[in-house]
Amino acid sequence: MRDEVQPLTENQHVTDVNVTERSPAVRQSITSIAAVITPALALAACGGGKDKDKDKDKEEEGSPSAGPLPPSVPPTGVQAGRFLAQSTMGATKAEISAVQGSGYESWISAQFAMPREMRLYDWILSKGFGEEKDVTGDNGSGLNPGVWRMVITGNDQLRQRVGVALLDFLVVSANGLTQTNFPHLAAAAYLDLLWDNAFGNYRELIGKISTNTTMAVYLTFLNSKKTDPKTGSQPDQNYARELMQLFTLGVVKLNPDGTAQMENGKPIETYTAADVSGLARVFTGFRYDPSYVRLKPDVHRLPLAQNAADHELGVKTFLGATIPANTDGFASLKIALDTIFAHPNVPPFVSKQLIQRLVTSNPSPAYVGRVSAVFANNGSGVRGDLKAVIRAILLDTEARSDAGLTNPNFGKLRAPVVRLTNWARAFGVKSEGDKWLIGDTSNPSTGLGQMIGRAPSVFNFFRPGYKPPNTSIASAGLVAPEFQITTESSVISYVNFMLGIIGEGANDAKPNYTDLLTKAGDSQALVDQLNFVLAAGQLSAETVATIKAGVDTILPTHFKSSYHRVRLAILLVMAAPEYITQK
Amino acid sequence: MKNNQTRRAFLQTNAKLGLAGIAAPFVTTLASIGEAAAQESSGYKAIVCIFLAGGNDQDNTVTPYDMDSYKSYQSLRPQLAYSRDDLTATLLTPNTNTLFKPHTSLNGRQYALAPAMAPLLPLFQKEKLAVILNVGTLVRPTTIAQFKERGFPLPPQLGSHNDQSSYWLASNPEGAVSGWGGRIGDLLQSGNGKPAVTCISATGNAAFLTGKSVFSFSVGAKGPIPLAPDSSLFGSTYGGNGLPALKALMSGSRANIFENEHAKVSKRALETGELLFSELKNAPAFMTKYPGDVKVPGVETIPNPLADQLKTVARMISINSALGAKRQVFYVQMGGFDLHSHLVETQPILLERVASAMRAFYDHTVELGVADKVTTFTSSDFGRPTLCNNDGSDHGWGGIHFVMGGAVKGGQFYGEAPVIALKGPNDVGQGSLLPTTSVDQYASTLATWLGVSNSDMSTVLPNIGNYDRSTWNLGFV
Repeated sequence: MRDEVQPLTENQHVTDVNVTERSPAVRQSITSIAAVITPALALAACGGGKDKDKDKDKEEEGSPSAGPLPPSVPPTGVQAGRFLAQSTMGATKAEISAVQGSGYESWISAQFAMPREMRLYDWILSKGFGEEKDVTGDNGSGLNPGVWRMVITGNDQLRQRVGVALLDFLVVSANGLTQTNFPHLAAAAYLDLLWDNAFGNYRELIGKISTNTTMAVYLTFLNSKKTDPKTGSQPDQNYARELMQLFTLGVVKLNPDGTAQMENGKPIETYTAADVSGLARVFTGFRYDPSYVRLKPDVHRLPLAQNAADHELGVKTFLGATIPANTDGFASLKIALDTIFAHPNVPPFVSKQLIQRLVTSNPSPAYVGRVSAVFANNGSGVRGDLKAVIRAILLDTEARSDAGLTNPNFGKLRAPVVRLTNWARAFGVKSEGDKWLIGDTSNPSTGLGQMIGRAPSVFNFFRPGYKPPNTSIASAGLVAPEFQITTESSVISYVNFMLGIIGEGANDAKPNYTDLLTKAGDSQALVDQLNFVLAAGQLSAETVATIKAGVDTILPTHFKSSYHRVRLAILLVMAAPEYITQK
Repeated sequence: MKNNQTRRAFLQTNAKLGLAGIAAPFVTTLASIGEAAAQESSGYKAIVCIFLAGGNDQDNTVTPYDMDSYKSYQSLRPQLAYSRDDLTATLLTPNTNTLFKPHTSLNGRQYALAPAMAPLLPLFQKEKLAVILNVGTLVRPTTIAQFKERGFPLPPQLGSHNDQSSYWLASNPEGAVSGWGGRIGDLLQSGNGKPAVTCISATGNAAFLTGKSVFSFSVGAKGPIPLAPDSSLFGSTYGGNGLPALKALMSGSRANIFENEHAKVSKRALETGELLFSELKNAPAFMTKYPGDVKVPGVETIPNPLADQLKTVARMISINSALGAKRQVFYVQMGGFDLHSHLVETQPILLERVASAMRAFYDHTVELGVADKVTTFTSSDFGRPTLCNNDGSDHGWGGIHFVMGGAVKGGQFYGEAPVIALKGPNDVGQGSLLPTTSVDQYASTLATWLGVSNSDMSTVLPNIGNYDRSTWNLGFV
């Protein structure tokens, strides 16, 4: 809200990748890359991870020798399961074997090479929800079923997991699209955009998002107009602000390792109100493609067009960049996004959030620094290569080392929707009629308190910086994003919801427990198998014993007892905090 | 909202109910408070925070009405402005009750309620509703000149939803680890038979309600929910009993920090949740109708999440003696107020829900005989600038808020009426308001009413010492 413009800092208007190589951020990244070439010490460090001394753990995490594990170490079954918990919507026995067979790196490469499967938008259309009757449709118009089907059954599981992770901070919610036609298809087109570009380049991704109809509706820059000298009406600032705050930069300046830059003991704000209003002038004149007709959804797959008469042609100033007068809408957009993308906050801001979504809520600064260095430069001078970033996240010692299993501060809550897909994938849920009527699970009293694509606002269901108040997490200075939707109500509702779906499935979406039923009489074998496939072996012997004792209260004499023992065992595993926390 | 016919019918139905629903508050001694409790210095009191998530546009909520201000308002946002004629019926005429004066000198300024908020008008007229002008987040009293000084302390990340909503309710940006509702609870929970019910949210986690020791307890919008209802746990009909194992797993302590804190949440849920659930079965029946309670044949019932939550709060309040609760803080929330576009179509729908839900809640407290024991107030991320962006408004700062209850010195305005003008004395850009009343003063007034002493006030509100002590109690309750 202050009028002063922040002084230009180094790099802020650098748009050329080659030029950024001279920046201090990249110099640091080169050091980090050099460090990861000699990972032998890192391996030794994880061997020593049994030592529970916290300070020592920290030292190990922060040591410059940490980096990717060598590819030659074949993962054990539980290690493969743990990797899949971080990289997919849920492990299966078959996938665990596959990772053991190929190793992590080859599995990732194979996932990168997988073709995009049927897109969400196309599936919804194939179910007949793109007709005139659906022009205002949302719930009941195929979006929820399509999402569940896609994330549960997709073979491209890495893409599914990364897509969901991107949607957690590049938020669009179907609940906020009622102002457009075919809101369910608008949402689907946006999810498809994220999924299509999950292995692409982040600059291209924000470019596509910034010309996407769904985002333009959701963050209200569609038809935003230049300043009207008669009425004083100003360009809409919504997208300009959230593009910087949530999608690229964050509110405070970051070091390459994701920690905040401080000045006189206080974080330095990244941008001012003047930057927001300056950037808002770029996002004017954007409109639907001229082919738009209300009774057809097709416009949502077309990039936005420009209505030159509405675009601000005056000088646009933000983040130290100046777009000269008379620059048109698309040219202005390119300069704006290049400017933002070159900002030194982008690599740590995006990298840290992806780590938090996939691996652990509180990555060490060194881990963030290593990934952020790869974001800044993939080794071939490319900034924003998401494939390289995903590899760096999943293959980092901090993600792979067994030390995380005993570090009491490591890991994250599994998001409730991921717990549901864990179950669905582990037990081969199929919908015979291809209906997938699992529904909107966002109600916190009757459902999971979360639904993919239905966040309550652009701030998502949870924030990356959420500190659960009055907890040892907060007093340790740690964050726990998923705790924001963990309440006295939601923990009960989650168990009740799982109780229902484990027992009966959802409509014709049914699990297959055939394999487990053969073990139903042997509760130890039953729980061991569940521990392996659902919890990557992370349930303690004590927890397994408690579950086994619970299962054994159902005597194996009744003809239906196997059925109930299996279901109770699954529920108890999934209610255990050792499962709910992914380590 | 897509169906205008439905909406009109709903509004009409609601208006009728509103007319029938107003009842004179009756004063009653709280016979329900037991002997032990009666020895305490005072009886039951509760505050209820209504958070309007997204940043409510104050100019189209409490709208300038006197001709000069109306003209400024209209000229700065012609696309959004109400017609002045449409505001006449909801003009807020301050009372002439000399006991309540003077609180603010309006100097001829007049305001009208948004027409959609008509259900609240009778409460203002009966002096049960007060309007607080230009209140917002500050670190210390701030002039426009100080605002422009580099380095003058201001709340961080002005204009950022998550940070400013957190600053409003928890005196810190995102990542705040306690809120002023919870810190009030820390000080007052010892008077409660069961401290676990001191701070209750009907809308999920709220840093607002968490203190240094007291926890926010979340119930569902429709109340607490029982674990594995109807003995539905697998195998229970065949003699199986997995419930002890289930509860032990959910709530047993663990080494990993996330596991352990998750287990603590479950433990509270199992202990306090079951208590609330069983006590609510004995809650007194009530006649008050909330929006959505009366089904009109052929008319779709429109969900009013705020009404659901406030009804749940009222039901909790109705069992306060069974719970041994003397002081409680509640939190409810409704979203959708971030109206950068479609403000004219959307905001009235939201405001109608707010007004009708608040009105029903007030009526319910009257029916329970606790109207003067319960003070309800609104809050929001920030206000919005008067200057518009064609079909909506962007992020601002100071806003206008309501305080409602039998103890409220209502029918009055508090704070200073901001000048509606670009480059005016309150303008920090595009007509965003530099607050002249701080959230800290708003909060300390409520805390004082609940029984927090001045000497404890800085524990609740770390920045309150930056304000002259004579302004810690704005006098609206």
